[in-house]
Amino acid sequence: MSVHLKHNEPKPNLYPPASPPRDPVGIGLRHPYYQEVTDNPPDVGWLEVHPENYFGGGAHRHFLSKAREKYQLSLHAVGLSLGSTDPVNEEHLRQFKELIDIYQPFNVSDHASWSASGNAHLNDLLPLPYTQGSLDTLCRNVERTQEYFGRTMLVENPSTYVAFAENEMSEYEFMNRLSEKSGCGILLDINNIFVQSFNHGYDAFEYIDGIDADKVGEMHLAGHIEQEVGDGIILIDTHSRSVKKDVWDLYEHAVRRLGAVPTLIEWDQDFPPLSKLVEEASKARDIMNRVLAEDIANAAE
Amino acid sequence: MQLSEVQKRFKDTMLDHPKALDDPPEDLAALFNVGDIPLPERLKVYRNNIVGSLTDVMIASHPLLEKLVGHEFLELMARSFILENPPTHGCLNMYGTDFDKFIASYELAKALPYLPDMARLEIAMNEAYYAADDKPLTADELAEKELKLKLRQNVKLLSSKYPIDKIKDFCLKDDPDKTMSVDSGGVKLMIYRPGLDSVIVKLEDSEYEMLLVLSRNTPLDEAVKATLNTHKDFDFQGFLQRHIELETFLTLKTNT
Repeated sequence: MSVHLKHNEPKPNLYPPASPPRDPVGIGLRHPYYQEVTDNPPDVGWLEVHPENYFGGGAHRHFLSKAREKYQLSLHAVGLSLGSTDPVNEEHLRQFKELIDIYQPFNVSDHASWSASGNAHLNDLLPLPYTQGSLDTLCRNVERTQEYFGRTMLVENPSTYVAFAENEMSEYEFMNRLSEKSGCGILLDINNIFVQSFNHGYDAFEYIDGIDADKVGEMHLAGHIEQEVGDGIILIDTHSRSVKKDVWDLYEHAVRRLGAVPTLIEWDQDFPPLSKLVEEASKARDIMNRVLAEDIANAAE
Repeated sequence: MQLSEVQKRFKDTMLDHPKALDDPPEDLAALFNVGDIPLPERLKVYRNNIVGSLTDVMIASHPLLEKLVGHEFLELMARSFILENPPTHGCLNMYGTDFDKFIASYELAKALPYLPDMARLEIAMNEAYYAADDKPLTADELAEKELKLKLRQNVKLLSSKYPIDKIKDFCLKDDPDKTMSVDSGGVKLMIYRPGLDSVIVKLEDSEYEMLLVLSRNTPLDEAVKATLNTHKDFDFQGFLQRHIELETFLTLKTNT
């Protein structure tokens, strides 16, 4: 794999270099929290943003620059459309790379889904059939992105509401193969696994047990809603609520298997006070600390 | 079905009339295992995410239109716009730059002929807000270098036959009982971002003309001549002083 040379002009090093955050729990930095995070930096280890919100300049970059002085950063994209049969948009890559060069994130990621077809970008994480054909498409786009960035990225398992009849493998097998073939890491969204397992009727714990443990570079936690549809219920990944108890249980299982992987609390609509996100982050930290303490105690016996 | 075809059919269904989801095309329906929840309900989750999130983006970037026509009407107009003009790439900061043209041809909005210009004003404010960061020209630089003036990336020029700046102030007053005349004459504006927020500056005709000529990369001496041709009263010194103070021009220094 060759490193893209187009943007190699030296840049002044404005921020502390990227390193895995010492405190593994982070929260999403969103517009309503800009001033508060700048004035009273909350007790979390790192921040996550969608790079697309920082293309161009102005107020968003101003506050991101302030935040980066104090925190490590994860750039979590929603717009690369890695699963599209169309190639990745080069202008999107250029603007994303500019942010990577300036802000030096410890992680860079997007999703195992598609958004664009022809000249339309639908602004949603749309489902892929889990086939060899989809895998080839996704790998081609992930490889192109990694080549352009000159670094590996993480790819996240999405929430889906339909399942393809032609699926040739389970989603976790699909994610494992993607990682093996393209060299990318896995961003494991625990809430998405829960939502999926409910919507499609499979065992969420088995999913966690099946994923390649050494490939997981970040985990996500978020709230979802239950929507009644006729006689049934469908779970929708809204990022608008607290993390549900079942998802915390699944997360604890994941921490036992995967260790203290950097974990994000995501919240993207119906924003609560910042203190609520910090409280959720503390819960995740408590789970990691408890599991770690048990491991040490077990090892000592 | 090839993956590219699956994606095209899925996209077309999402952008089709809402009723199309109730009875999805057979070849599309055959792609999915559905279980207890019928396919239309599953597809509606995607459709609601797509149209809902894009409508939110459009409403958030048009607070003045929302005041003028109300939330429900703007939502209706935005939904129709989205289905005909979906985003073309994955960054939505500049989404909806054709909304003014859409409104101009939207039958239900014909009674409000100033509405497209109000949309243009909000589009310009949004573009200025998200424009790339750069630095302004300073008086010191003028003394040092031969002059070739460029407008900063966040500067937008707008001419309307309606008093759209006054309509904006009217919108922001939030007094539903008040009325204003929209026929009190047009206005020429500069919308730009000197700090972190978009700002509107009212321009004289000659000043607007000069900035417009400069925005086409015309050398300074030619621009002054062209402006004096159409506006005999153009005061170049006053113009220069005012726009250095406003920070309209791009710095001459490189690497900024």
